[in-house]
Amino acid sequence: MDTQWPRWEVFKQDTPSKPHQAVGSVHAADPFHALLTARNVFARRPQAVSMWVAPASAILSVTKEELAEGRELKPSTFDLKPSTYYVFRKTSHKRSMTFVDYVGELEAPSPEDALKLAIERFTDAPALAWWVVPASSVTKSEDSPETVESWFAPAKDKTYKQQSYYGLVGAHAGKHKRTQGDDDE
Amino acid sequence: MNEQVKQALIAKLTALADDELILAHRDSEWVGHGPILEEDIALANIAQDELGHATLWYGLRSTLDGSDPDRLAFLRDAAEFHNCELVELPKGDWAFTLLRQYLFDAYEALWLSAAKDSTYKPLAEVAAKILREERFHLQHTQAWVERLGLGTEESNRRMQAALDAQWGYAQQLFVPLEGEGVLVAEGIVPDLGGLKQTWLLHTTQHLQNSGLKLPLQPGYQPTSRQMHTEHLWSLLAEMQSTARWDAEAKVW
Repeated sequence: MDTQWPRWEVFKQDTPSKPHQAVGSVHAADPFHALLTARNVFARRPQAVSMWVAPASAILSVTKEELAEGRELKPSTFDLKPSTYYVFRKTSHKRSMTFVDYVGELEAPSPEDALKLAIERFTDAPALAWWVVPASSVTKSEDSPETVESWFAPAKDKTYKQQSYYGLVGAHAGKHKRTQGDDDE
Repeated sequence: MNEQVKQALIAKLTALADDELILAHRDSEWVGHGPILEEDIALANIAQDELGHATLWYGLRSTLDGSDPDRLAFLRDAAEFHNCELVELPKGDWAFTLLRQYLFDAYEALWLSAAKDSTYKPLAEVAAKILREERFHLQHTQAWVERLGLGTEESNRRMQAALDAQWGYAQQLFVPLEGEGVLVAEGIVPDLGGLKQTWLLHTTQHLQNSGLKLPLQPGYQPTSRQMHTEHLWSLLAEMQSTARWDAEAKVW
């Protein structure tokens, strides 16, 4: 029996004017549990105003290289009812802390159709990678002021300690090493 | 503030801080031992938050009597601590730890909601600040009680065992200190009697919705914060060992 919990991709929005960005993944038993752990792992200190999670298994992920090598995007063969997909895109290697950014949503009968539409529609920047996520698989943190306050506001008071804070330890360790070195000789 | 009120407030702040400190230490015992990395991090966060709350309460006490929070935390003996017995019980299994944290968070969130309207401004400010974090803790621990209670036969059995063991101890959270009445009369702290009814309503409902049964016999209910279980001594022996060995601990 596989006892591993499913993996969820986590999308974090830093400020209301920025898009949700893929910041990493968590393992969790269910969508709300995934949100709770995502908040603990990815937003205890970094700034955030909203988080989304989606099961990794629900995400269609395609890179520029795969498209160039002719990865086929099968259109839906059935007359499926269109549903909503969220589209995420990676446009730069500059920020290594995040992967894809949210660019918009669209209606399509299948993830592959949604990706084809996205490639036509979101042309303002070259895409290095695409993620297509069914809107129905996404669970979002509450937007109520009380939730935003209790989930994300305390982070403002929790800063990282700069490395220089530990200068004392470094100096002491150096001294210790030198003493040891003397002993060895 | 007259001397009687001041002494009562010092005692209350000490009890609040001691609860947070000892609970934080018990939670911290899970660091590196959590059932999954994500939850290990989450409980470490909770432990750090509770420790931060303890620092705030000791800090308020310090403004009244000039006491040193570090000395209070690390150089007092068990008999001088005024935490409730619930928080000093050994960490047990995951169900035991999360149920305790849930029962405590539910109490603390209610207490803080009322205390943020305290007539003593410094206390009102600290309560409002801490309340934000407690709301999130409560959502997290509430979710675990539900998932373990309704999970498998074994997870339900463990959660039920934790509830049977803790329900009586948890009632101590609502036993006022001797002399606390004067603080309530001044509007400095909320009346625990009223909070207890709301707490019972919320927790009973959530525990029952989670497939758990309230113990018919509540068992041992501690009433005095002067008394402790044997577990506090061994907890302090570990928590205070570095400070007692080298109080400055500047070189390590």
